Amino acid sequence: MIHVQQLTKAYADLKRGQFLAVSGVTFQATAGQIFGLLGPNGAGKTTVLRILSTILRPTSGTAIINGYDLRTQPALIRHQIGFVSTNTAVYDRMTAWEMVEYFGRLYGLADDELRERMERIFLRLQMNDFRDQVGAKMSTGMKQKVSIARAIVHDPPVLIFDEATVGLDVLVARALLKTVMELREQGKCIVFSTHIMREAERLCDKIAIMYRGHILSEGSLPELLERYHETDLEELFFRLLTDYDAAPALAGNPR
Amino acid sequence: MQWSKIKLIFLRELRDQLRDRRTLFTIAVLPLILYPLLGMSFLQVAQFTREHRSTILLQGADDLPSTPRLLDGENFAAEVCPGSEAQLLRIVPRPSPQPAPAAEELRQEAQKAIRSGQCDAVVYFPHDFGERLAAARAAMDADATSGDAETVSPPPIPEPRVFASTANDKSRIAADRVERILRRWRELMVQQNLRHRNIPLAATEPFHLVDTDVAEEVSRRAVVWSKILPFVVLIWALTGAFYPAIDLCAGEKERGTLETLLSSPALRGEIVWGKLLTVMTFSTATALLNLASIGLTGTFIISRLTSLGGAIRIGLPPLGAMLWLAVALIPISALFSALSLAIAAFARSSKEGQYYLMPLLMITLPLMMIPLLPSVELDWGSSLIPVSGMMLLLRAVIEGQFRDAITHLPSVILVTMACCWLSIRWAIDQFNNEGVIFREGERWSLGAWLRHLWRFRERTPTFGMAILCGVSLLLVRFFASFLIGTPQSWSAFAVVLLATQLALIALPPLLMTGMLTTSWRQTMLLRWPGFPSLFSAVFLALAFHPAALVLHELIQWLYPLSPDVRAAAGTINALAAEAHWLPRLLVLALTPAICEELAFRGFILSGLRHMGHKWGAIVVSSLFFGAVHGMLQQSLSACAVGIVIGYIAVQTGSLLPCILFHVTHNSLVLTVGVHGPRLVDQFPQLRWIYQVQQDQFRYQPYVTIAGLVLAAGFLAWYRLLPFRATEEERLRSLLEHQALRPAAK
Repeated sequence: MIHVQQLTKAYADLKRGQFLAVSGVTFQATAGQIFGLLGPNGAGKTTVLRILSTILRPTSGTAIINGYDLRTQPALIRHQIGFVSTNTAVYDRMTAWEMVEYFGRLYGLADDELRERMERIFLRLQMNDFRDQVGAKMSTGMKQKVSIARAIVHDPPVLIFDEATVGLDVLVARALLKTVMELREQGKCIVFSTHIMREAERLCDKIAIMYRGHILSEGSLPELLERYHETDLEELFFRLLTDYDAAPALAGNPR
Repeated sequence: MQWSKIKLIFLRELRDQLRDRRTLFTIAVLPLILYPLLGMSFLQVAQFTREHRSTILLQGADDLPSTPRLLDGENFAAEVCPGSEAQLLRIVPRPSPQPAPAAEELRQEAQKAIRSGQCDAVVYFPHDFGERLAAARAAMDADATSGDAETVSPPPIPEPRVFASTANDKSRIAADRVERILRRWRELMVQQNLRHRNIPLAATEPFHLVDTDVAEEVSRRAVVWSKILPFVVLIWALTGAFYPAIDLCAGEKERGTLETLLSSPALRGEIVWGKLLTVMTFSTATALLNLASIGLTGTFIISRLTSLGGAIRIGLPPLGAMLWLAVALIPISALFSALSLAIAAFARSSKEGQYYLMPLLMITLPLMMIPLLPSVELDWGSSLIPVSGMMLLLRAVIEGQFRDAITHLPSVILVTMACCWLSIRWAIDQFNNEGVIFREGERWSLGAWLRHLWRFRERTPTFGMAILCGVSLLLVRFFASFLIGTPQSWSAFAVVLLATQLALIALPPLLMTGMLTTSWRQTMLLRWPGFPSLFSAVFLALAFHPAALVLHELIQWLYPLSPDVRAAAGTINALAAEAHWLPRLLVLALTPAICEELAFRGFILSGLRHMGHKWGAIVVSSLFFGAVHGMLQQSLSACAVGIVIGYIAVQTGSLLPCILFHVTHNSLVLTVGVHGPRLVDQFPQLRWIYQVQQDQFRYQPYVTIAGLVLAAGFLAWYRLLPFRATEEERLRSLLEHQALRPAAK
């Protein structure tokens, strides 16, 4: 479903000059699977996900998403994905219903089909209580539900969640993770970035540990633990990061 | 692009903005309350203005002649000051100081009195004013009876003085009022003298001058509105565009919704068009509501002033003018909306966006002010100036000059549409530019920036460096023009020109290349392009020259040279004519060709190409190239030539053909342009190529056309060359040619 090949993204700033925010990232995710990108802040997770959702263009490398090439067919890829960003990204002066309807129409859904889907999604995500409430008056949980509803209204085969639980209370975060798991059951291919170990452990079928723009290791949780003879994901995570920092020459990446 | 998506985005943004109280206040509430409030204030102020009395300190009031009277008690006499004026003047009489003070002392005393508010103006009559007046009259009588003008010395003319401060409005008005009265008094004295000598009064006025205003009533009424209304409407169109644009771009970035929208199937172009239509709607609505409000308020105020019997010279705003303004508003709103959107896209937050309004105003305000200048009229030249042309067209329509308006309508529309297209293109480019859309805040310091420039140098200059270089060249050239005097000989002229070219044009980009880039070869396009490219450049310059000459004439017809500039150009030509042809070509053709190519097609064009737009880079570098020539007419010609040379630079990737084109072009201008008429006189057989008409030297029309065809051929050949695109140009091309629908299986 998703084949990411040698994805690289270079930026420039006053302090570092030209630097690689993402360097040679390669991974694959299939339908019915949650692929977790686990890494600390600044690891390059958001950049990878922004590239996959065609918001940013890669400096080199590419990705094939549901058969479409990221570099040459970004407009077609947008029909295949639903993107839920870190911030809830909700319009302050639109109601929940209007927002989801707006995006449904942007995806070219016909009136009847759109209405039927929205009714179903609003029921499933328990959004009917605030369907006529404007964004400015919603709680963070409500906003995140709207964000998910907007991302799945066109029933995309691929869903991208960028640190979607940041800022949510435990109850709402738990509900969101449940929704993500339900979406996996429906056969969606999900890329889920997080820096919370427990989320990755509970949710992800495959985990890639990212640090300083690189994927340090990738596999299912048991595979990773067995590969490094660790019993705990958190310990493994710290070990990989420490090893990387201790061996800059091996990493080949200027810090 | 799909209209359905544009419409969807437009309707959403429109609804969103209509739910924003701040936007509604700016576009709807403010115009509705602003002008009535201003109108009320105006009426109040007008009332105060009418009732303000001027206090006049009258020194020497005790020694004035009794006939004709200037004063009647402590007021001006009714003969010199009608009742309505008398009410506006209060006299503070004082005896004349003795002995008579010096002029400077008098000035200081008056200044003190006006500054302290004791009076608004001071009138000073010397203590012997009456006696001197009588003496002057007696001398005139004696002169008349003796009939011998040479034996009687002319008596000194008495000189009363009026002291007022031009820096103080009240003082200026007081001086006007009292001077009017003194003039009337003087006329009465003249009449008295004439009567005394039995000369008819008509002797002082041998004929009456009768003024007749041929303007129609509508035009007379419209004349003030024709200047006010376009200005007000354009200012509000700009303001009405900017604030929604900030909310739709910077506001969306702040809320994080822009990221979501960019990951939706809407193309960047569709997003920009949707937002643009929204901004345009608000810009037009704001301007229209202001127009309606100013029209209604103006009508009310004028009716009120008329009913109060005030002498007003403006009529009601003509309805036709308002309709024309509404029509012209659409393209102007489109232009301002696209500009605002492109600028607002750059802002990271709404607050930052507010700061960008000022530079936009600073650029557009002068264009709006040009038509307000009294000597500026709608003609071919002014109709080609963006914004100003449209304002002048509107003025012509409002004043009823329909023939002028229709004549220049196509050029105004063409320029406005071209500007709209460029602005929209810029806005779309901004949305396609990750550096703009995802610009992150970074703590900026001069030290860090300079370190960055040195440590992280790239092979070619960045876009910002190219702009910095262009702006620096313009500034240095501007200030140097004040320091460099007019040379008086060819040798002085040659030294000035060489120094200017080497130190002010070539040196800055050479230094910047050495300090800010790592590759002289790539930055300055130092590669061998092959002989065909070099020959083509020379022949292209030859073929292009007739068209360049026609363009030069056209520009001078549109924007004629002022006599001063023409004289200065004549002096320079005369100095150049003194020199032998070889040094002349070296100084005026070869040196500028090398220095200017290093700067504009070398450093600047190499940097500008990082914007990812080949033609954008060529045009911007040509604008700098044109602007550095200083004089508008020369700048426009140079800009056109710069576009051709820029294209050669991009296609060949080498500076050599550019230098060859430039030197050939300059040489042709110097030889054929300056010595053409003499050459045709010497060699009449050249008349099949050239013609001399009314001292104008030009090519035969068929030579110009053949030259253009040949030039097009050479350019087509250059187009076939495999030009080296920059990484940014490749990316943009990829984006513009992306697949929008799945390939048929």
